[in-house]
Amino acid sequence: MTADQTPENNPMVHATGLVKKFGDFTAVDGITFDVHKGETFGMLGPNGAGKTSTLRMMSGLSPVTSGELEIDGIDATANPRSVRDVIGVVSQHDGLDPDISVRDNLTVYGFYFGLNREMAGKRADEVLDFFGLKARGADSVDDLSGGMRRRLTIARSFLSRPRLVILDEPTTGLDPHSRNRVWEQLAVLKNSGVTVVMSTHYMEEAAILCDRLVIMDEGHILAAGTPDDLIRDQAGAEVAQIRPEPGQRDSVQRQLKESGHETIEIGAIFAVRGTNGERADLSNISGARISYRAANLEDVFLRLTGRDLDDE
Amino acid sequence: MNESLASQRDTGRFDFRLRGVVGVWLRHYTAFKGGWMIEMTGIILEPVFILAAVAFGIGKLVGHVETRDEGVSYAVFVAPGIVIGNAMWHSLFECSWGAFRRLQTNRIYDSILAAPVSMREIVLGEIAWGATRALMTTAAVLAFATATGLVESPWAIGILGVGIMTGFMFGGFGLIAAAIAPSTHMLTLVFTMVATPLFFFSGTFFPISTLPIWAQPIAWSLPLSHPVRIARALATGELYIALLWSLLYLIVATLIFFPLAVKLLRRRLLV
Repeated sequence: MTADQTPENNPMVHATGLVKKFGDFTAVDGITFDVHKGETFGMLGPNGAGKTSTLRMMSGLSPVTSGELEIDGIDATANPRSVRDVIGVVSQHDGLDPDISVRDNLTVYGFYFGLNREMAGKRADEVLDFFGLKARGADSVDDLSGGMRRRLTIARSFLSRPRLVILDEPTTGLDPHSRNRVWEQLAVLKNSGVTVVMSTHYMEEAAILCDRLVIMDEGHILAAGTPDDLIRDQAGAEVAQIRPEPGQRDSVQRQLKESGHETIEIGAIFAVRGTNGERADLSNISGARISYRAANLEDVFLRLTGRDLDDE
Repeated sequence: MNESLASQRDTGRFDFRLRGVVGVWLRHYTAFKGGWMIEMTGIILEPVFILAAVAFGIGKLVGHVETRDEGVSYAVFVAPGIVIGNAMWHSLFECSWGAFRRLQTNRIYDSILAAPVSMREIVLGEIAWGATRALMTTAAVLAFATATGLVESPWAIGILGVGIMTGFMFGGFGLIAAAIAPSTHMLTLVFTMVATPLFFFSGTFFPISTLPIWAQPIAWSLPLSHPVRIARALATGELYIALLWSLLYLIVATLIFFPLAVKLLRRRLLV
Protein backbone atom coordinates (compact mmCIF):
# COMPACT_ATOMS: atom_id res chain seq x y z
CA MET A 1 0.00 0.00 0.00
CA THR A 2 1.13 3.51 -0.64
CA ALA A 3 1.56 5.96 2.17
CA ASP A 4 -1.70 7.81 1.61
CA GLN A 5 -3.62 4.56 2.02
CA THR A 6 -2.21 3.89 5.46
CA PRO A 7 -2.69 7.08 7.43
CA GLU A 8 -0.79 7.37 10.66
CA ASN A 9 -3.94 6.91 12.69
CA ASN A 10 -4.70 3.49 11.20
CA PRO A 11 -4.00 0.84 13.82
CA MET A 12 -0.82 -1.25 13.63
CA VAL A 13 -2.84 -4.29 14.68
CA HIS A 14 -6.54 -4.69 14.11
CA ALA A 15 -8.14 -7.89 15.37
CA THR A 16 -11.84 -8.65 15.21
CA GLY A 17 -13.45 -11.81 16.59
CA LEU A 18 -10.13 -13.61 16.46
CA VAL A 19 -10.41 -17.34 17.17
CA LYS A 20 -7.79 -20.08 17.48
CA LYS A 21 -8.83 -23.69 17.91
CA PHE A 22 -6.65 -26.77 18.32
CA GLY A 23 -9.03 -29.62 17.53
CA ASP A 24 -11.87 -29.28 20.03
CA PHE A 25 -9.90 -26.97 22.30
CA THR A 26 -10.48 -23.24 21.89
CA ALA A 27 -7.32 -21.36 22.89
CA VAL A 28 -8.49 -17.92 21.74
CA ASP A 29 -12.22 -17.34 21.82
CA GLY A 30 -13.19 -14.41 19.63
CA ILE A 31 -11.09 -11.51 20.87
CA THR A 32 -11.25 -7.99 19.44
CA PHE A 33 -8.59 -5.34 19.97
CA ASP A 34 -6.54 -2.64 18.25
CA VAL A 35 -2.91 -1.72 18.77
CA HIS A 36 -2.03 1.86 17.83
CA LYS A 37 1.14 2.83 16.03
CA GLY A 38 4.03 3.56 18.34
CA GLU A 39 2.49 2.23 21.52
CA THR A 40 3.58 -0.63 23.74
CA PHE A 41 0.65 -2.94 24.12
CA GLY A 42 0.51 -5.67 26.73
CA MET A 43 -1.34 -8.92 27.14
CA LEU A 44 -1.50 -9.82 30.78
CA GLY A 45 -2.79 -13.16 31.91
CA PRO A 46 -1.89 -16.49 33.44
CA ASN A 47 -0.53 -19.49 31.54
CA GLY A 48 -3.17 -20.84 29.18
CA ALA A 49 -4.92 -17.49 28.77
CA GLY A 50 -4.38 -17.60 25.00
CA LYS A 51 -1.59 -15.00 24.86
CA THR A 52 0.95 -17.12 23.00
CA SER A 53 -1.66 -18.38 20.53
CA THR A 54 -2.68 -14.79 19.82
CA LEU A 55 0.93 -13.66 19.34
CA ARG A 56 1.69 -16.64 17.07
CA MET A 57 -1.26 -15.74 14.86
CA MET A 58 -0.05 -12.14 14.76
CA SER A 59 3.42 -13.39 13.82
CA GLY A 60 2.08 -15.31 10.85
CA LEU A 61 3.24 -18.59 12.42
CA SER A 62 -0.13 -20.06 13.29
CA PRO A 63 -3.12 -20.16 10.95
CA VAL A 64 -6.09 -18.07 12.10
CA THR A 65 -9.10 -20.33 12.74
CA SER A 66 -11.59 -17.50 12.19
CA GLY A 67 -11.94 -13.77 12.59
CA GLU A 68 -10.08 -10.84 11.07
CA LEU A 69 -6.48 -9.89 11.69
CA GLU A 70 -4.65 -7.01 10.04
CA ILE A 71 -1.05 -6.12 10.75
CA ASP A 72 0.06 -2.73 9.40
CA GLY A 73 -2.71 -2.91 6.83
CA ILE A 74 -1.79 -6.44 5.70
CA ASP A 75 -4.40 -9.17 5.96
CA ALA A 76 -2.53 -11.62 8.19
CA THR A 77 -5.00 -14.45 7.59
CA ALA A 78 -4.17 -14.48 3.87
CA ASN A 79 -0.58 -13.17 3.76
CA PRO A 80 1.35 -14.40 6.78
CA ARG A 81 4.68 -14.00 5.01
CA SER A 82 4.07 -10.34 4.15
CA VAL A 83 3.45 -9.83 7.85
CA ARG A 84 6.77 -11.47 8.69
CA ASP A 85 8.51 -9.03 6.34
CA VAL A 86 7.63 -6.10 8.59
CA ILE A 87 7.71 -7.53 12.12
CA GLY A 88 10.28 -8.86 14.57
CA VAL A 89 9.47 -11.81 16.79
CA VAL A 90 10.83 -12.88 20.18
CA SER A 91 9.43 -16.26 21.16
CA GLN A 92 9.62 -17.87 24.59
CA HIS A 93 12.24 -20.31 23.35
CA ASP A 94 15.13 -18.14 22.27
CA GLY A 95 15.75 -20.31 19.23
CA LEU A 96 19.39 -19.24 19.14
CA ASP A 97 21.85 -21.27 17.12
CA PRO A 98 24.60 -22.92 19.21
CA ASP A 99 26.51 -24.05 16.10
CA ILE A 100 27.50 -20.51 15.10
CA SER A 101 28.87 -17.48 16.97
CA VAL A 102 26.81 -14.78 18.64
CA ARG A 103 27.50 -12.36 15.80
CA ASP A 104 26.79 -14.98 13.13
CA ASN A 105 23.44 -15.63 14.77
CA LEU A 106 22.61 -12.10 13.68
CA THR A 107 24.29 -11.98 10.27
CA VAL A 108 22.74 -15.29 9.23
CA TYR A 109 19.37 -13.96 10.36
CA GLY A 110 19.96 -10.96 8.14
CA PHE A 111 20.32 -13.31 5.15
CA TYR A 112 16.76 -14.55 5.75
CA PHE A 113 15.56 -10.98 5.28
CA GLY A 114 17.56 -10.65 2.10
CA LEU A 115 20.42 -8.55 3.47
CA ASN A 116 23.75 -9.09 1.77
CA ARG A 117 26.83 -10.02 3.77
CA GLU A 118 28.00 -6.44 4.19
CA MET A 119 24.60 -5.07 5.24
CA ALA A 120 23.93 -8.01 7.56
CA GLY A 121 27.31 -7.52 9.23
CA LYS A 122 26.72 -3.80 9.66
CA ARG A 123 23.29 -4.31 11.22
CA ALA A 124 24.62 -7.12 13.41
CA ASP A 125 27.27 -4.81 14.84
CA GLU A 126 24.73 -2.03 15.40
CA VAL A 127 22.30 -4.16 17.38
CA LEU A 128 25.08 -5.96 19.28
CA ASP A 129 26.32 -2.56 20.35
CA PHE A 130 22.88 -1.34 21.36
CA PHE A 131 22.13 -4.43 23.42
CA GLY A 132 25.50 -4.37 25.15
CA LEU A 133 26.74 -7.59 23.56
CA LYS A 134 29.52 -6.20 21.37
CA ALA A 135 32.27 -7.86 23.40
CA ARG A 136 30.59 -11.27 23.09
CA GLY A 137 30.28 -11.31 19.29
CA ALA A 138 32.80 -14.10 18.74
CA ASP A 139 31.56 -16.26 21.62
CA SER A 140 29.31 -19.26 21.41
CA VAL A 141 25.69 -18.71 22.31
CA ASP A 142 26.07 -21.50 24.89
CA ASP A 143 28.51 -19.34 26.87
CA LEU A 144 26.00 -16.52 27.39
CA SER A 145 23.97 -16.08 30.56
CA GLY A 146 20.19 -16.38 30.40
CA GLY A 147 19.81 -12.61 30.40
CA MET A 148 22.33 -12.17 27.58
CA ARG A 149 20.66 -14.89 25.52
CA ARG A 150 17.37 -13.10 25.89
CA ARG A 151 18.92 -9.78 24.90
CA LEU A 152 20.48 -11.43 21.87
CA THR A 153 17.08 -12.79 20.89
CA ILE A 154 15.57 -9.32 21.22
CA ALA A 155 18.51 -7.86 19.29
CA ARG A 156 17.84 -10.38 16.51
CA SER A 157 14.20 -9.29 16.29
CA PHE A 158 15.34 -5.71 15.65
CA LEU A 159 17.84 -6.63 12.94
CA SER A 160 15.45 -6.01 10.06
CA ARG A 161 14.26 -2.64 11.42
CA PRO A 162 10.72 -3.93 12.00
CA ARG A 163 7.68 -1.68 12.37
CA LEU A 164 6.19 -4.02 14.97
CA VAL A 165 7.99 -6.21 17.49
CA ILE A 166 6.15 -9.07 19.14
CA LEU A 167 7.59 -10.38 22.40
CA ASP A 168 6.21 -13.45 24.14
CA GLU A 169 7.01 -13.20 27.84
CA PRO A 170 10.33 -11.44 27.31
CA THR A 171 11.57 -11.77 30.89
CA THR A 172 10.14 -15.09 32.02
CA GLY A 173 12.83 -17.16 33.66
CA LEU A 174 15.27 -14.26 34.15
CA ASP A 175 16.71 -13.17 37.47
CA PRO A 176 15.62 -9.72 38.74
CA HIS A 177 18.82 -8.01 37.60
CA SER A 178 18.59 -9.34 34.05
CA ARG A 179 14.91 -8.53 33.98
CA ASN A 180 15.61 -4.90 34.85
CA ARG A 181 18.21 -4.71 32.12
CA VAL A 182 15.73 -6.00 29.54
CA TRP A 183 13.12 -3.54 30.76
CA GLU A 184 15.54 -0.63 30.41
CA GLN A 185 16.33 -1.59 26.85
CA LEU A 186 12.70 -2.12 25.92
CA ALA A 187 11.94 1.31 27.35
CA VAL A 188 14.62 2.87 25.14
CA LEU A 189 13.32 1.06 22.07
CA LYS A 190 9.84 2.25 22.85
CA ASN A 191 11.17 5.79 22.65
CA SER A 192 12.46 5.10 19.15
CA GLY A 193 8.87 4.86 17.94
CA VAL A 194 8.59 1.15 17.20
CA THR A 195 5.28 -0.51 18.07
CA VAL A 196 5.60 -3.29 20.63
CA VAL A 197 3.15 -6.03 21.55
CA MET A 198 4.19 -8.16 24.49
CA SER A 199 2.67 -10.81 26.66
CA THR A 200 3.56 -11.22 30.28
CA HIS A 201 2.31 -12.69 33.47
CA TYR A 202 4.24 -10.19 35.57
CA MET A 203 1.95 -7.34 36.53
CA GLU A 204 4.95 -5.18 37.36
CA GLU A 205 6.31 -5.58 33.85
CA ALA A 206 2.97 -4.67 32.33
CA ALA A 207 2.64 -1.64 34.59
CA ILE A 208 6.13 -0.35 33.80
CA LEU A 209 6.28 -0.90 30.05
CA CYS A 210 2.78 -0.91 28.63
CA ASP A 211 0.85 2.13 27.45
CA ARG A 212 -2.26 0.02 27.19
CA LEU A 213 -3.02 -3.58 27.94
CA VAL A 214 -5.66 -6.24 27.84
CA ILE A 215 -6.22 -8.70 30.63
CA MET A 216 -6.80 -12.18 29.27
CA ASP A 217 -8.06 -15.39 30.78
CA GLU A 218 -9.19 -18.64 29.16
CA GLY A 219 -9.12 -17.21 25.64
CA HIS A 220 -11.13 -14.08 26.46
CA ILE A 221 -10.27 -10.42 27.00
CA LEU A 222 -11.67 -9.49 30.39
CA ALA A 223 -10.72 -5.82 30.40
CA ALA A 224 -8.72 -3.31 28.38
CA GLY A 225 -7.23 0.08 29.06
CA THR A 226 -4.20 1.90 30.39
CA PRO A 227 -2.70 0.35 33.53
CA ASP A 228 -3.85 3.34 35.60
CA ASP A 229 -7.40 3.27 34.26
CA LEU A 230 -7.68 -0.46 34.80
CA ILE A 231 -6.50 -0.17 38.35
CA ARG A 232 -8.76 2.77 39.12
CA ASP A 233 -11.84 1.23 37.50
CA GLN A 234 -11.39 -2.31 38.68
CA ALA A 235 -9.49 -2.13 41.95
CA GLY A 236 -9.86 1.41 43.28
CA ALA A 237 -6.95 3.54 44.39
CA GLU A 238 -6.14 1.57 47.47
CA VAL A 239 -6.80 -1.95 48.59
CA ALA A 240 -7.44 -2.89 52.20
CA GLN A 241 -5.82 -6.10 53.32
CA ILE A 242 -7.58 -7.71 56.24
CA ARG A 243 -5.74 -10.37 58.23
CA PRO A 244 -8.06 -12.03 60.74
CA GLU A 245 -6.61 -12.73 64.17
CA PRO A 246 -6.42 -16.39 65.20
CA GLY A 247 -9.87 -17.93 65.48
CA GLN A 248 -11.58 -14.82 64.10
CA ARG A 249 -11.74 -15.76 60.42
CA ASP A 250 -15.45 -16.66 60.31
CA SER A 251 -16.43 -13.66 62.40
CA VAL A 252 -14.45 -11.26 60.19
CA GLN A 253 -15.93 -12.80 57.06
CA ARG A 254 -19.44 -12.32 58.47
CA GLN A 255 -18.73 -8.69 59.40
CA LEU A 256 -17.37 -7.95 55.95
CA LYS A 257 -20.43 -9.51 54.37
CA GLU A 258 -22.74 -7.42 56.54
CA SER A 259 -20.77 -4.23 55.80
CA GLY A 260 -21.68 -4.65 52.12
CA HIS A 261 -18.08 -4.33 50.86
CA GLU A 262 -17.04 -6.32 47.84
CA THR A 263 -14.60 -8.81 49.33
CA ILE A 264 -12.05 -11.07 47.69
CA GLU A 265 -10.64 -14.00 49.62
CA ILE A 266 -6.95 -14.79 49.11
CA GLY A 267 -6.12 -17.75 51.30
CA ALA A 268 -6.42 -16.54 54.89
CA ILE A 269 -6.50 -12.86 53.88
CA PHE A 270 -9.40 -10.74 52.67
CA ALA A 271 -9.00 -7.85 50.27
CA VAL A 272 -11.45 -4.98 49.92
CA ARG A 273 -11.16 -2.39 47.20
CA GLY A 274 -11.95 1.24 47.65
CA THR A 275 -14.67 3.02 45.71
CA ASN A 276 -14.67 6.43 43.99
CA GLY A 277 -10.98 6.86 44.69
CA GLU A 278 -11.48 6.52 48.45
CA ARG A 279 -10.18 3.74 50.62
CA ALA A 280 -12.88 1.47 52.02
CA ASP A 281 -14.04 2.42 55.53
CA LEU A 282 -13.44 -0.65 57.65
CA SER A 283 -13.25 1.05 61.05
CA ASN A 284 -16.08 -1.05 62.47
CA ILE A 285 -14.51 -4.41 61.61
CA SER A 286 -13.10 -6.08 64.69
CA GLY A 287 -10.86 -9.09 65.24
CA ALA A 288 -8.52 -8.35 62.31
CA ARG A 289 -5.40 -6.42 61.40
CA ILE A 290 -6.15 -4.00 58.58
CA SER A 291 -3.58 -2.36 56.31
CA TYR A 292 -3.85 -0.35 53.12
CA ARG A 293 -1.66 -0.41 50.01
CA ALA A 294 -1.82 1.03 46.51
CA ALA A 295 -3.88 -1.15 44.20
CA ASN A 296 -2.08 -2.86 41.34
CA LEU A 297 -2.83 -4.98 38.28
CA GLU A 298 -2.75 -8.11 40.37
CA ASP A 299 -5.82 -6.80 42.19
CA VAL A 300 -7.46 -6.11 38.86
CA PHE A 301 -6.86 -9.66 37.73
CA LEU A 302 -7.99 -11.06 41.06
CA ARG A 303 -11.20 -9.09 40.94
CA LEU A 304 -11.94 -10.10 37.34
CA THR A 305 -11.23 -13.80 37.75
CA GLY A 306 -11.18 -14.54 41.47
CA ARG A 307 -7.75 -16.09 40.97
CA ASP A 308 -4.10 -15.11 41.31
CA LEU A 309 -2.08 -14.41 38.18
CA ASP A 310 0.44 -17.00 39.24
CA ASP A 311 -2.11 -19.78 39.69
CA GLU A 312 -1.11 -22.64 37.46
CA MET B 1 -0.04 -0.37 -5.47
CA ASN B 2 1.24 -2.99 -7.89
CA GLU B 3 4.10 -3.63 -5.59
CA SER B 4 1.76 -4.23 -2.68
CA LEU B 5 -0.35 -6.66 -4.68
CA ALA B 6 2.76 -8.58 -5.59
CA SER B 7 3.96 -8.75 -2.02
CA GLN B 8 0.55 -9.85 -0.79
CA ARG B 9 0.19 -12.68 -3.25
CA ASP B 10 2.51 -14.78 -1.16
CA THR B 11 0.54 -17.74 0.12
CA GLY B 12 0.01 -19.20 -3.32
CA ARG B 13 1.55 -22.41 -4.43
CA PHE B 14 4.31 -20.68 -6.30
CA ASP B 15 5.34 -18.27 -3.60
CA PHE B 16 9.02 -18.96 -3.50
CA ARG B 17 12.04 -16.84 -2.58
CA LEU B 18 15.47 -18.14 -3.44
CA ARG B 19 17.01 -15.98 -0.70
CA GLY B 20 15.27 -18.18 1.90
CA VAL B 21 16.96 -21.29 0.51
CA VAL B 22 20.30 -19.51 0.18
CA GLY B 23 19.99 -18.16 3.72
CA VAL B 24 19.49 -21.62 5.18
CA TRP B 25 22.36 -23.01 3.11
CA LEU B 26 24.60 -20.16 4.28
CA ARG B 27 23.67 -20.90 7.89
CA HIS B 28 24.97 -24.43 7.39
CA TYR B 29 28.03 -23.25 5.56
CA THR B 30 28.79 -20.81 8.43
CA ALA B 31 28.48 -23.59 11.00
CA PHE B 32 30.59 -25.93 8.85
CA LYS B 33 33.33 -23.35 8.40
CA GLY B 34 33.56 -22.99 12.17
CA GLY B 35 34.64 -26.61 12.61
CA TRP B 36 35.89 -27.61 9.18
CA MET B 37 38.99 -29.48 10.32
CA ILE B 38 36.95 -31.90 12.41
CA GLU B 39 34.31 -32.12 9.69
CA MET B 40 36.93 -33.12 7.16
CA THR B 41 37.79 -36.27 9.10
CA GLY B 42 34.24 -37.49 8.54
CA ILE B 43 34.14 -36.32 4.97
CA ILE B 44 37.54 -37.67 3.85
CA LEU B 45 39.29 -39.90 6.35
CA GLU B 46 36.53 -42.16 7.59
CA PRO B 47 35.28 -43.25 4.17
CA VAL B 48 38.87 -43.60 2.89
CA PHE B 49 39.65 -45.96 5.80
CA ILE B 50 36.64 -48.07 4.89
CA LEU B 51 37.45 -48.11 1.19
CA ALA B 52 41.13 -48.92 1.76
CA ALA B 53 40.36 -51.78 4.15
CA VAL B 54 37.65 -53.32 2.00
CA ALA B 55 39.22 -52.77 -1.42
CA PHE B 56 42.80 -53.66 -0.60
CA GLY B 57 42.26 -55.94 2.39
CA ILE B 58 39.19 -57.99 1.64
CA GLY B 59 39.79 -57.42 -2.08
CA LYS B 60 42.93 -59.56 -1.89
CA LEU B 61 40.81 -62.54 -0.73
CA VAL B 62 37.91 -62.13 -3.10
CA GLY B 63 39.34 -61.86 -6.55
CA HIS B 64 37.00 -61.21 -9.51
CA VAL B 65 33.39 -60.11 -9.56
CA GLU B 66 31.18 -60.75 -12.59
CA THR B 67 29.78 -57.56 -14.11
CA ARG B 68 27.59 -57.02 -17.14
CA ASP B 69 30.30 -57.16 -19.80
CA GLU B 70 33.34 -58.64 -18.19
CA GLY B 71 34.55 -59.22 -14.68
CA VAL B 72 36.36 -56.64 -12.62
CA SER B 73 38.52 -56.92 -9.53
CA TYR B 74 36.66 -56.74 -6.23
CA ALA B 75 38.42 -53.49 -5.39
CA VAL B 76 37.13 -51.86 -8.57
CA PHE B 77 33.68 -53.33 -7.94
CA VAL B 78 33.35 -52.11 -4.39
CA ALA B 79 34.75 -48.55 -4.76
CA PRO B 80 31.63 -46.90 -6.31
CA GLY B 81 29.45 -48.68 -3.75
CA ILE B 82 31.41 -47.19 -0.88
CA VAL B 83 31.56 -43.75 -2.50
CA ILE B 84 27.79 -43.54 -2.95
CA GLY B 85 26.92 -45.37 0.28
CA ASN B 86 28.99 -42.80 2.05
CA ALA B 87 27.22 -39.94 0.27
CA MET B 88 23.97 -41.38 1.62
CA TRP B 89 25.29 -41.44 5.19
CA HIS B 90 26.38 -37.82 5.12
CA SER B 91 23.17 -36.42 3.69
CA LEU B 92 20.97 -38.64 5.82
CA PHE B 93 22.83 -37.80 9.01
CA GLU B 94 22.71 -34.06 8.38
CA CYS B 95 19.04 -34.03 7.43
CA SER B 96 17.75 -36.38 10.12
CA TRP B 97 19.94 -36.11 13.22
CA GLY B 98 21.20 -32.60 12.50
CA ALA B 99 17.77 -31.40 11.41
CA PHE B 100 16.15 -32.87 14.52
CA ARG B 101 18.57 -30.94 16.71
CA ARG B 102 17.69 -27.74 14.88
CA LEU B 103 13.99 -28.54 14.88
CA GLN B 104 13.45 -29.78 18.41
CA THR B 105 16.46 -29.28 20.65
CA ASN B 106 17.45 -25.77 19.60
CA ARG B 107 14.21 -24.56 17.99
CA ILE B 108 16.05 -22.94 15.13
CA TYR B 109 13.33 -23.64 12.57
CA ASP B 110 10.95 -21.61 14.71
CA SER B 111 13.33 -18.67 14.49
CA ILE B 112 13.81 -19.04 10.74
CA LEU B 113 10.06 -19.27 10.19
CA ALA B 114 9.59 -16.06 12.18
CA ALA B 115 11.70 -14.39 9.48
CA PRO B 116 10.01 -14.27 6.09
CA VAL B 117 11.21 -17.75 5.08
CA SER B 118 8.74 -20.48 4.14
CA MET B 119 8.83 -24.12 5.21
CA ARG B 120 9.44 -25.13 1.62
CA GLU B 121 12.52 -22.90 1.45
CA ILE B 122 13.85 -24.28 4.73
CA VAL B 123 13.45 -27.85 3.49
CA LEU B 124 15.12 -27.03 0.19
CA GLY B 125 18.00 -25.29 2.00
CA GLU B 126 18.43 -28.27 4.31
CA ILE B 127 18.39 -30.78 1.46
CA ALA B 128 20.72 -28.61 -0.60
CA TRP B 129 23.18 -28.62 2.28
CA GLY B 130 22.81 -32.40 2.68
CA ALA B 131 23.58 -32.69 -1.04
CA THR B 132 26.54 -30.34 -0.64
CA ARG B 133 28.00 -32.59 2.03
CA ALA B 134 27.30 -35.62 -0.12
CA LEU B 135 29.16 -33.92 -2.97
CA MET B 136 32.15 -33.07 -0.76
CA THR B 137 32.57 -36.62 0.45
CA THR B 138 31.88 -38.11 -2.98
CA ALA B 139 34.59 -35.92 -4.48
CA ALA B 140 37.07 -36.81 -1.74
CA VAL B 141 36.58 -40.57 -1.88
CA LEU B 142 36.37 -40.61 -5.66
CA ALA B 143 39.68 -38.78 -5.82
CA PHE B 144 41.23 -41.41 -3.56
CA ALA B 145 39.74 -44.22 -5.65
CA THR B 146 41.06 -42.64 -8.83
CA ALA B 147 44.52 -42.13 -7.39
CA THR B 148 44.68 -45.76 -6.29
CA GLY B 149 43.60 -47.08 -9.69
CA LEU B 150 40.06 -48.15 -8.76
CA VAL B 151 38.41 -46.12 -11.52
CA GLU B 152 38.56 -47.47 -15.08
CA SER B 153 36.69 -44.88 -17.12
CA PRO B 154 36.61 -41.10 -17.56
CA TRP B 155 32.82 -41.39 -17.26
CA ALA B 156 33.52 -41.65 -13.54
CA ILE B 157 33.40 -37.85 -13.32
CA GLY B 158 29.62 -38.29 -13.55
CA ILE B 159 29.73 -39.97 -10.13
CA LEU B 160 29.88 -36.47 -8.66
CA GLY B 161 26.42 -35.85 -10.08
CA VAL B 162 25.21 -39.19 -8.74
CA GLY B 163 26.54 -38.17 -5.32
CA ILE B 164 24.59 -34.91 -5.41
CA MET B 165 21.39 -36.67 -6.47
CA THR B 166 21.88 -39.27 -3.75
CA GLY B 167 22.25 -36.38 -1.31
CA PHE B 168 19.01 -34.77 -2.45
CA MET B 169 17.06 -38.03 -2.24
CA PHE B 170 18.29 -39.04 1.22
CA GLY B 171 18.12 -35.44 2.47
CA GLY B 172 14.38 -35.50 1.82
CA PHE B 173 14.09 -38.89 3.45
CA GLY B 174 16.04 -37.69 6.50
CA LEU B 175 13.79 -34.65 6.95
CA ILE B 176 10.71 -36.85 6.82
CA ALA B 177 12.22 -38.93 9.63
CA ALA B 178 13.09 -35.79 11.63
CA ALA B 179 9.58 -34.43 11.13
CA ILE B 180 7.83 -37.52 12.48
CA ALA B 181 10.33 -38.59 15.17
CA PRO B 182 9.03 -37.82 18.66
CA SER B 183 12.53 -38.09 20.16
CA THR B 184 16.18 -38.68 19.29
CA HIS B 185 15.61 -42.18 20.60
CA MET B 186 13.20 -42.99 17.78
CA LEU B 187 15.45 -41.25 15.30
CA THR B 188 18.11 -43.86 16.02
CA LEU B 189 15.92 -46.26 14.05
CA VAL B 190 16.76 -44.36 10.88
CA PHE B 191 20.33 -45.57 11.25
CA THR B 192 19.84 -49.03 12.73
CA MET B 193 16.87 -50.03 10.58
CA VAL B 194 17.36 -47.98 7.41
CA ALA B 195 20.85 -46.66 6.76
CA THR B 196 22.83 -49.71 7.89
CA PRO B 197 20.83 -52.32 5.94
CA LEU B 198 20.80 -50.05 2.90
CA PHE B 199 24.54 -49.51 3.13
CA PHE B 200 25.26 -53.26 3.09
CA PHE B 201 22.48 -54.75 0.94
CA SER B 202 22.11 -52.31 -1.95
CA GLY B 203 24.69 -53.92 -4.21
CA THR B 204 27.36 -51.88 -2.49
CA PHE B 205 29.65 -54.65 -1.18
CA PHE B 206 28.44 -57.54 -3.32
CA PRO B 207 26.25 -57.86 -6.44
CA ILE B 208 22.53 -58.06 -5.78
CA SER B 209 22.54 -61.18 -7.99
CA THR B 210 24.32 -63.08 -5.22
CA LEU B 211 21.32 -62.60 -2.91
CA PRO B 212 18.68 -65.38 -2.74
CA ILE B 213 16.27 -65.08 -5.62
CA TRP B 214 13.40 -63.93 -3.37
CA ALA B 215 15.50 -61.17 -1.85
CA GLN B 216 16.66 -59.67 -5.13
CA PRO B 217 13.46 -57.71 -5.96
CA ILE B 218 13.52 -56.33 -2.43
CA ALA B 219 17.10 -55.16 -2.87
CA TRP B 220 16.22 -53.51 -6.18
CA SER B 221 13.33 -51.68 -4.54
CA LEU B 222 15.71 -50.02 -2.07
CA PRO B 223 16.70 -46.45 -2.91
CA LEU B 224 20.46 -46.84 -2.54
CA SER B 225 20.66 -49.70 -5.09
CA HIS B 226 20.00 -47.32 -7.97
CA PRO B 227 22.62 -44.62 -7.51
CA VAL B 228 25.16 -47.38 -6.72
CA ARG B 229 24.26 -49.12 -9.98
CA ILE B 230 24.69 -45.90 -11.98
CA ALA B 231 27.95 -45.00 -10.22
CA ARG B 232 29.40 -48.46 -10.87
CA ALA B 233 28.54 -48.27 -14.54
CA LEU B 234 30.22 -44.86 -14.76
CA ALA B 235 33.33 -46.10 -12.93
CA THR B 236 33.79 -49.11 -15.18
CA GLY B 237 32.57 -47.41 -18.35
CA GLU B 238 29.99 -50.17 -18.98
CA LEU B 239 27.01 -47.96 -19.78
CA TYR B 240 23.65 -49.42 -20.83
CA ILE B 241 20.18 -48.13 -21.49
CA ALA B 242 18.51 -49.77 -18.45
CA LEU B 243 20.44 -47.36 -16.24
CA LEU B 244 17.84 -44.77 -17.17
CA TRP B 245 15.36 -46.68 -14.99
CA SER B 246 17.66 -46.18 -12.04
CA LEU B 247 17.96 -42.49 -12.89
CA LEU B 248 14.19 -42.27 -13.07
CA TYR B 249 13.93 -43.97 -9.66
CA LEU B 250 16.26 -41.36 -8.14
CA ILE B 251 14.34 -38.45 -9.59
CA VAL B 252 10.90 -39.78 -8.70
CA ALA B 253 11.90 -40.69 -5.14
CA THR B 254 13.35 -37.21 -4.64
CA LEU B 255 10.19 -35.62 -6.00
CA ILE B 256 8.11 -37.67 -3.57
CA PHE B 257 10.29 -37.14 -0.48
CA PHE B 258 10.66 -33.37 -0.86
CA PRO B 259 7.00 -32.26 -0.73
CA LEU B 260 6.24 -34.91 1.88
CA ALA B 261 8.96 -33.48 4.15
CA VAL B 262 7.52 -29.97 3.66
CA LYS B 263 4.04 -31.17 4.52
CA LEU B 264 5.09 -33.10 7.63
CA LEU B 265 7.25 -30.27 8.96
CA ARG B 266 4.45 -27.76 8.40
CA ARG B 267 2.15 -30.02 10.36
CA ARG B 268 4.67 -30.16 13.18
CA LEU B 269 5.65 -26.49 13.38
CA LEU B 270 3.01 -24.24 11.85
CA VAL B 271 0.06 -25.09 14.09
